[in-house]
Amino acid sequence: MPRYAMVIDLQRCVGCGACSIACRSENNVPDGIYWSNKITETSGTFPNVRYHYIPTLCNHCDNAPCVRGCPTRAMHKLDNGITMHDPDKCIGCKYCEFNCPYGVIYFNWRNAHPYWRDETVLIEGCTYSPADMTRKAGGKILPNYNPERDETLAGIRPKGVVEKCTFCDHRIEKGLLPACVEACPADARIFGDISDPSSEVRILLGKFRPFRLREQLGTDPHVFYIRDFNPAHYQPTKGGV
Amino acid sequence: MNANRNKRKTLMKDFFDDIRLSRRSFLKASTAAGAAVALGAGLDPELKMLAAASGTGADEMGQWLPATCQGCTSWCAQQVYVIDGRAIKIRGNPNSKVSVGAGCPRPHLAIQQVYDPDRIKTPMRRTNPKKGRLEDPQFVPISWDDALNTIADKIMALRANDETHKYMLMRGRYTYLRDILYDRMTKIIGSPNSISHSAICAEAEKFGPYFTEGLWDYRQYDVENARYILIWGADPLAANRQVSYYSKVWGTVIDRAQIAVVEPRLSATGAKADVWLPIAPGHDGALAAAIAHVILTEKLWHRDFVGDFTDGNNRFVLGQQVSEADFEEKHTHGLVKWWNLELKDKTPEWAASKTSLPADQIRQVALDYGRAAPHAISWVGGGPVMQVRGAYASMICHALNGLVGAVDNVGGTLAPNKVHTQDFPGPDAFMDDIANKGKKHEKIDQRGRLAFPALNKGQSGGGVVTNNVADALLDDDPYDIKVAIAYMNNFAFSCGQPERWERALSKIPFSVHITTNASEFSWFCDILLPNTHHLFEKYGYIKSQGNGYQHVSIMQPIIKRVGDYKTDESEFPWLLAEKLAERGFDNLLRHYKTYKDPETGKEPTNSDEFSLYALKYATHKLWDPALYEEGDKFSGWEAFAKVGVSNSAPYPFRKRWGKMKTKTGKFEFYSETLKEALEQHAAKHNATVEQVMEACFYEARGEMAFVPHYEAPYTAGDPQKFPLLFVDHKSRLNREGRSANCPWYYDFKDLDPGDVAGEDVAKINPLDGTKFGIQTGDRVRLTSPTGTIECTAKLWEGVRPGTVAKCYGQGHWAYGRLASKVFGKVPRGGNNNDLIPAVYERLSGSTVRHAGTRVKIEKI
Repeated sequence: MPRYAMVIDLQRCVGCGACSIACRSENNVPDGIYWSNKITETSGTFPNVRYHYIPTLCNHCDNAPCVRGCPTRAMHKLDNGITMHDPDKCIGCKYCEFNCPYGVIYFNWRNAHPYWRDETVLIEGCTYSPADMTRKAGGKILPNYNPERDETLAGIRPKGVVEKCTFCDHRIEKGLLPACVEACPADARIFGDISDPSSEVRILLGKFRPFRLREQLGTDPHVFYIRDFNPAHYQPTKGGV
Repeated sequence: MNANRNKRKTLMKDFFDDIRLSRRSFLKASTAAGAAVALGAGLDPELKMLAAASGTGADEMGQWLPATCQGCTSWCAQQVYVIDGRAIKIRGNPNSKVSVGAGCPRPHLAIQQVYDPDRIKTPMRRTNPKKGRLEDPQFVPISWDDALNTIADKIMALRANDETHKYMLMRGRYTYLRDILYDRMTKIIGSPNSISHSAICAEAEKFGPYFTEGLWDYRQYDVENARYILIWGADPLAANRQVSYYSKVWGTVIDRAQIAVVEPRLSATGAKADVWLPIAPGHDGALAAAIAHVILTEKLWHRDFVGDFTDGNNRFVLGQQVSEADFEEKHTHGLVKWWNLELKDKTPEWAASKTSLPADQIRQVALDYGRAAPHAISWVGGGPVMQVRGAYASMICHALNGLVGAVDNVGGTLAPNKVHTQDFPGPDAFMDDIANKGKKHEKIDQRGRLAFPALNKGQSGGGVVTNNVADALLDDDPYDIKVAIAYMNNFAFSCGQPERWERALSKIPFSVHITTNASEFSWFCDILLPNTHHLFEKYGYIKSQGNGYQHVSIMQPIIKRVGDYKTDESEFPWLLAEKLAERGFDNLLRHYKTYKDPETGKEPTNSDEFSLYALKYATHKLWDPALYEEGDKFSGWEAFAKVGVSNSAPYPFRKRWGKMKTKTGKFEFYSETLKEALEQHAAKHNATVEQVMEACFYEARGEMAFVPHYEAPYTAGDPQKFPLLFVDHKSRLNREGRSANCPWYYDFKDLDPGDVAGEDVAKINPLDGTKFGIQTGDRVRLTSPTGTIECTAKLWEGVRPGTVAKCYGQGHWAYGRLASKVFGKVPRGGNNNDLIPAVYERLSGSTVRHAGTRVKIEKI
């Protein structure tokens, strides 16, 4: 059985966020919820300033606090290492959300996609309402609803349960890469089986010294970061007193 | 929810410490490289492309179909995943050597454009005869037949009165089927007024390359072989051009090359650069002059391209004139003249006083850049050039490529490769006396007048002066316009001082807008026609260059149309031609019938066939093996349509050395080509070149007009009253100002460095925040001499003190429910163009976007 992991090469990352928007398409993710997200920081003071960007997502931890704290086993580990959620078992207690040290689990406080449920029309007789657009396009709640998401998880998650990144388990089952990996124009996301010594992720983790988010907590995350977003050259110096 | 938000905030705060403190190697297992077997290895090239084209994995419900993204002018080849005629998602088309299977955030947003509920679904007619910003047009739906009959009647009335020149066609975003509507239809009706949007894009960027190396075009950059990349006011990782390709390779490029970014605000590309040069806006020419000075005094020019002193001794010494006889040039012209006229005194110390950059930093950049010759790119973007005095900045920044021999060279700046598309049949045989007479009138935009040289390809009045059309209309100078058709443009939003357009458009008695959304421009029109979305719903093709190739990528209808949309550049003109024929004027329809299907020889009988045949006709040489020239080869139309993109042959490096399309055939540091163009323009007006310079607000007099040089910026606004310089920039989410009605635009707005999700922010340095009593999150009012906007303040270290940086794209008061705060009334955020005066870089006709105005900021 493979153990899936992701390596994110920050030097290759250009901070464009195509990963996060592609994730919205693939997984029918509601507005305001970010299965794929980022941490940004501007460091320094003018003119010695740089902007830094770190893509984030569920870390699919081996020792996942969200899973340990779930009273109904709705949040669970798959054999391939993916931290998966079953909305049918979820009672909406949000323990997982509170236990996750990465802030990547989101609770659905409302029916998803309220924008697309709206029946109002901007110019009477000349434009559609969002709901009508979805109906005319043949979608489901969303005009661009992806039915393939529904193969392993509710295509759109109901109100009162949590949701988060699944490493696109429905795609992996078909031998396809997660949507964010496919969408990354910079090839900054490398996905694969970390238990396979010849996999690209293992090769990279052997070549570079990786780091993981909040490693000290012992969660054993399976999203690894290598290299730096801004590997700038500079004139050598010893500083001064 | 709050808990989560707080947690995320805490996480952000301690995260960067985390990286430093908690790195632990976790895996020590040795790894063995696995040899990946490439998809389709062993197949012939076309079969490989087809394999990648269909790309449908086992168990996938839909199909990946080829498409082209025109969200910016990168024009990338993409693929759309379609299930039952519905677009689900987008990815890069792996068959393009230009966009190399990559994309960016923009194509994904296109999904929310095509299914935007606020897209107009039917032709519409205005019922309120009064036109104005405060007048609700009171649109009602009408049929295509009604709409076309009305338009045809209006055109026939012009023809009956010998007033066909009072017909105007305005073009915004186009495909290369454009000539059907833009050129042929306008000419056959009998008008000179096909007005493109080009001058609000970046024409000034083409000025420098044209008058140095004879190239009126955008360039491609061989970044993978470069050792230094000096970027002027361009942001290739976020906006224009080939964002996909540059994103794909940048992680490798920054290993090999030093990258310096010249821009007053920290851009996406600046964020990953070695050197950020936050220049005082408008002084780019001074920095370029100092770099050139250092390259010459330090003898770093590329001798294989430029040549050398006859005795090998460098006489380029600070302040000293050099004799032209002492230097033997190879592929360049006028180096010594340039030194004597402009460069000899332009030290880094001098430039420091203009640019507010440290002299030692300027010197270091110049040395590093020069030492990387010839693999040293000087990449000229819109920043330094879309300015009142930007033409010479365009020249001097681009001229650095000449000094280091990067022009047309490995690791340098390249021209587009040749691709073998073909023009449509000519219109002349179909232009009657009325048309020939009408076409002879002066064009509406006043191009070619003394103060509007618009020297596209060196021709006086050769280029458009888009934004001046509003003033021409307001002044009825040269005449009034009675019938206007516009497509995929929004000049009442996208041009500086758009309020002029509101008044100008209100004056036109009959105007038609072919558009996807009821935009600011539409508000003043009589008929709106629902357009198709380029990525999913129409036939078309584009040409785009990058990675040492040019591709031709096509658009095809690949999803079910939800509304009654028709394609601007092909279906609409055909249908209108039919209506005109019904009225006894069949010249246009007869002309369109000459666009025969190259496969069958059949002439088109309806708008669908016409659209398809036009595309097949224009791309005939690319897909017909009997006409094969070079680049990708296909077995026929069907195979090409399935792959969706054709690549040129690889780049022929250094082929243009000594054969440039300038007057001397060389790279001109002293531009004989510009001299001739300016003298011709002056002679046309019985004027002198000096008078042309004066009319165009340039400082150059005498020989200075013919060499690349620094000019002080020309900026509107009294510094006492308007203390901050306004810095406009583009968003990596902007689909040319058309994505502001997409929910994702707001959720991801913070992908632009310094910006905030859900907000439209004016970014100022914290020092200025203190000075003006403004904090992050404050509502603020920005006022320039020409307008006022309201938005949110953001204090950010990535902005030069004394400037306010704001991203273009928001501030719509129409377009849709999300784009505007109250549709038709109140803008959401602020439109930068309200602040920017309608001024020009007149030598190219370009609209000014940068260093154009000063503003004041007030807390509301």
